[in-house]
Amino acid sequence: MKKIYFLTVLVMSGFAWTSQDHSKSHSIEMHAHSHEGHIHEELVDGRKLEVDPDRFDNFIEGQTNSQVAVISVNGMVCDFCARGIERTFKKDKSVQKIDVDLSRGKVLVMYTQSAKVDFEDIKQKILSNGQNATDLQIISI
Amino acid sequence: MGMLLKIFFSIFAITSIEARPISYSGSSTLMSMSDNMKDSIYYHYSPTYKYSIGIESVNEKFFDKDFIYLRLTYLLNRKNTKHSQRNLYFQSAIAADNLNNNFYGIHGDWETRRFFSGFGYKKIINNSRNHAEQYYQLGIAPYIGEYGDFHTWIMLKSKKNSLIGNWKTYPVFKFFKGDFLIEIGYDSDIDWDIHMMYRF
Repeated sequence: MKKIYFLTVLVMSGFAWTSQDHSKSHSIEMHAHSHEGHIHEELVDGRKLEVDPDRFDNFIEGQTNSQVAVISVNGMVCDFCARGIERTFKKDKSVQKIDVDLSRGKVLVMYTQSAKVDFEDIKQKILSNGQNATDLQIISI
Repeated sequence: MGMLLKIFFSIFAITSIEARPISYSGSSTLMSMSDNMKDSIYYHYSPTYKYSIGIESVNEKFFDKDFIYLRLTYLLNRKNTKHSQRNLYFQSAIAADNLNNNFYGIHGDWETRRFFSGFGYKKIINNSRNHAEQYYQLGIAPYIGEYGDFHTWIMLKSKKNSLIGNWKTYPVFKFFKGDFLIEIGYDSDIDWDIHMMYRF
């Protein structure tokens, strides 16, 4: 029993050893979809955006004159560990709402239209929770 | 078996290149822990994501003594990837009333949304008898919950306290939702192993 247990430990350690850091990847995939009345030109910058279309639609439902920051985050593997991200962004008065997508490693932050969205500031906020922001795209709605 | 433990420990020490926060900057955590060797209540505050300072009240059941420790936990190492996180922490403490009572150690973990593995080693120095604690833990999430859901982990934990001497392996269930987490393990010899945590 002990041998099986420690063999499993070694296998899992192997997973840890071989896991690759994808933080330098800025190429993300967009699931093509459309929203009536919403502007998506900001996405057409050579990159594609990997967001769950239904989740995104729910997030922006009923919202206008806002901008959504779609932040790619590395290390966001646990609900308990991601709690601080929501709390940190909620302190910002220009933030209207937040959604955390653990499955895709994305944080959606809705700002007022007049807010200046600064990636360096976002990186710091994510880092203060112990994770790394690797990419940002801004969508006006 | 000793060799296997050394290999496992070495692998983790090598692979833990970077670390993650104990908690997020400016947050507090309240923890309680109970097993066959001790009962503990521990509060800590994280000024930044890299370290925390706190105070712990411990009842050492083996010695039937109480200690108040001032604690420091520091993030030695972290590796964030898109699908995983690896951490290595250093912990230390001194008793508030006697500097000769103290402890230090390291603990680490690696996790994805599906798998978890962790280890810890702690050396306790006190006037009664110096001793060491170590543990290894493996876990799997039976389902992948979304943010805000009720999360469950099924784990296997192996631990040893040098005061007792032998390794004990037993199942542990971890549940959390929002800012509250509870971990419950049971073995007929060591009885209950319970760990609760609340962040605010």
